[in-house]
Amino acid sequence: MTMIQGTYYYPASSKAEQAELLVKEGVAQLFLVEKQLDYSASSLKISSSIPGVAQEVVFEDGGKFVAADSKARIHAKPSMLERLESHKPLIAFSIVGVPLLLWFCFAVVMPRMAAASVVLVPDAVSETMGEQAFDIIEELMLKPSELAQERQQQVKQQWQSALTSLNLSPEKFVLHVYRSDYFGANAFALPNGTVVITDDLLNRLEDNPDAVLAILLHEIGHVQQQHSLRLIAQSVSNAIVLAMIFGDIDGIGEIIIGSGSTLVQNAFSRDMEREADNYALEQLVALGKPTTAFADAMSSFSELKKQSNADVLQYLSTHPEIQERIDNALKFNKE
Amino acid sequence: MENSDVSTASTTTTPVVFTGKAGEFFGIWLVNILLSIVTLGIYSAWAKVRTLQYFYGNTSIDNHNFSYLATPMQILKGRILAVILFAVYTLTTQFLPMVGLAVIVAVLFLMPWLINQSLRFNSRMTSYRNVRFAFKGSYGYALLYFIILPILSVFTLYLLLPWALKKMDEYIYSNLSYGDKPLKTNISAVEYYSTSLIVLGVSIMFGVAVSIAVGAGAVAGGMSDGLNLDSLMSFAGVIMLVVYLILISVISAIYRARIRNHIFNNTEIEGLTTFTSKVSVSEYAMLLFVNTLAIVFTLGLAYPWTAIRQSAYLASVTELEIVDGAQAVLDTMEEQQSSFAEEAAEVFDVDIALT
Repeated sequence: MTMIQGTYYYPASSKAEQAELLVKEGVAQLFLVEKQLDYSASSLKISSSIPGVAQEVVFEDGGKFVAADSKARIHAKPSMLERLESHKPLIAFSIVGVPLLLWFCFAVVMPRMAAASVVLVPDAVSETMGEQAFDIIEELMLKPSELAQERQQQVKQQWQSALTSLNLSPEKFVLHVYRSDYFGANAFALPNGTVVITDDLLNRLEDNPDAVLAILLHEIGHVQQQHSLRLIAQSVSNAIVLAMIFGDIDGIGEIIIGSGSTLVQNAFSRDMEREADNYALEQLVALGKPTTAFADAMSSFSELKKQSNADVLQYLSTHPEIQERIDNALKFNKE
Repeated sequence: MENSDVSTASTTTTPVVFTGKAGEFFGIWLVNILLSIVTLGIYSAWAKVRTLQYFYGNTSIDNHNFSYLATPMQILKGRILAVILFAVYTLTTQFLPMVGLAVIVAVLFLMPWLINQSLRFNSRMTSYRNVRFAFKGSYGYALLYFIILPILSVFTLYLLLPWALKKMDEYIYSNLSYGDKPLKTNISAVEYYSTSLIVLGVSIMFGVAVSIAVGAGAVAGGMSDGLNLDSLMSFAGVIMLVVYLILISVISAIYRARIRNHIFNNTEIEGLTTFTSKVSVSEYAMLLFVNTLAIVFTLGLAYPWTAIRQSAYLASVTELEIVDGAQAVLDTMEEQQSSFAEEAAEVFDVDIALT
């Protein structure tokens, strides 16, 4: 053990003087200008050793010693962490390993954990959640349908017979027809099994009932696979983990991390759209309907949006490219 | 200079010295992230303590360094509480919107307590020359300045906001003390209003310049049919992103530089020292912009370099004018043991925060 040079601060005071500290055989000897203090080595509170940080020792009476040299260490053997932190090969490995681990964590581990945990959520929660969300959406964004009664009845009958054939509960899955300026030509599902389809969409697919069915089955797919719960579970856990690991990055870094997690989130919601697509395709087959109906439904969206094939935009979007979904449906038909 | 009225005693100008090195911190940061991922976030409490100990330990005034005293277990406890709070908040607002409304109101009233708790904890965990800092706030004022004033400012078309921001800063700094010596701060709302106006003006100028550029670009694009519209759009997207990053760097530099300078230049610890901060807006904007680009282009790996660079710059533009008799005051200065013991006995001796 060697003598360490440093500064001594008197207990609970900022009075300071030069000092030397020697820790040997269970005894800490502190040499001050005018006196020598002895402490038992086990009573010392020694700060963790960190590369480039001077080590500090707090004595039981509240006095404090700070080493003058940031490389000086009280214990001859450096701590495991400090060795890791200055271990060049490990650092080199981490440069590649850390992004890989992060990807694995956010793209594989978290989605699986979310999927596994939402199964445990009691049905009552999805029910209340769906009901409360529906109340708000209906109040703010939906207006009574302006379609003829026969047309509405026709869609609902088609819905009922599909539910019966697929053995799905007619109490859980309830279809509503609404007019909506906010949603335009669209359909959506809430976690309790409520499905809403808009006048505009029904008008657009007036002479293709199978395409309407394909879209409704896609929405049932979202409910059956608990997609809204999974999305929420994932975004909450991602936000917590990101905040804990990268929380000390402020300002602009925060914006970058925020947009990064939005991109990841969008990738998940695209995966979920694909899952719901495949559910719809399977059920179409089960009902003996052509899977081209799904491709037709997608094509009508395609005309609607006049989408360009900008690949760059793929990662920004929450839905897969429509052409990709049409191709998927057509391929499904062949299998 | 601005503080010439504060004391007639002669002073010694003492710089703030920062000795952190990007290479050293890079190793600490990588190990922090690696172990945080492997332990599913638990190590992040240790990571935070080591990071802060690195930055505090490498910041010194007059050859005495700062120390960060919190233990990882305290941080971990605070984080577990914060995770529970955050989960309850998000899950209820997402799953049960009606119950969520009640939770939002509850959180609004909990917030002042959390802010005080955090300020108290972080002050007490900061020590210089073996003497801790301390924060004494009150729930009522925290509620007024951090919750009620910002909400009121919305109804005044944000005209009240600069004043609210001034009140928040004033609350923080005037309730802070070093040992038994309170900080005295005398900041002015005029500075907050002029800074806000400059930020607003610069944002509008950027907006106008961008619209002119986009208009010109569209005309040029319209004239040359040879150009693919899609590629033109993606190019425009990249340019917009760069412009956006420049704008963010410039306005945060203007605000942070001016307000930091104003607060430091108008704060003193009586009988001990006054402070000077000379952050230059242009230098700081450049630093923030380069930092952002470095983080983007290295996918985050440049973070340690940017953090060290920022701390080094801020230290280099900060000085203290220590009163010549300060040594005698420092030698007799003692930590207020009673208040410390009483606070340590609190159940929540933690900073309930995710970061």
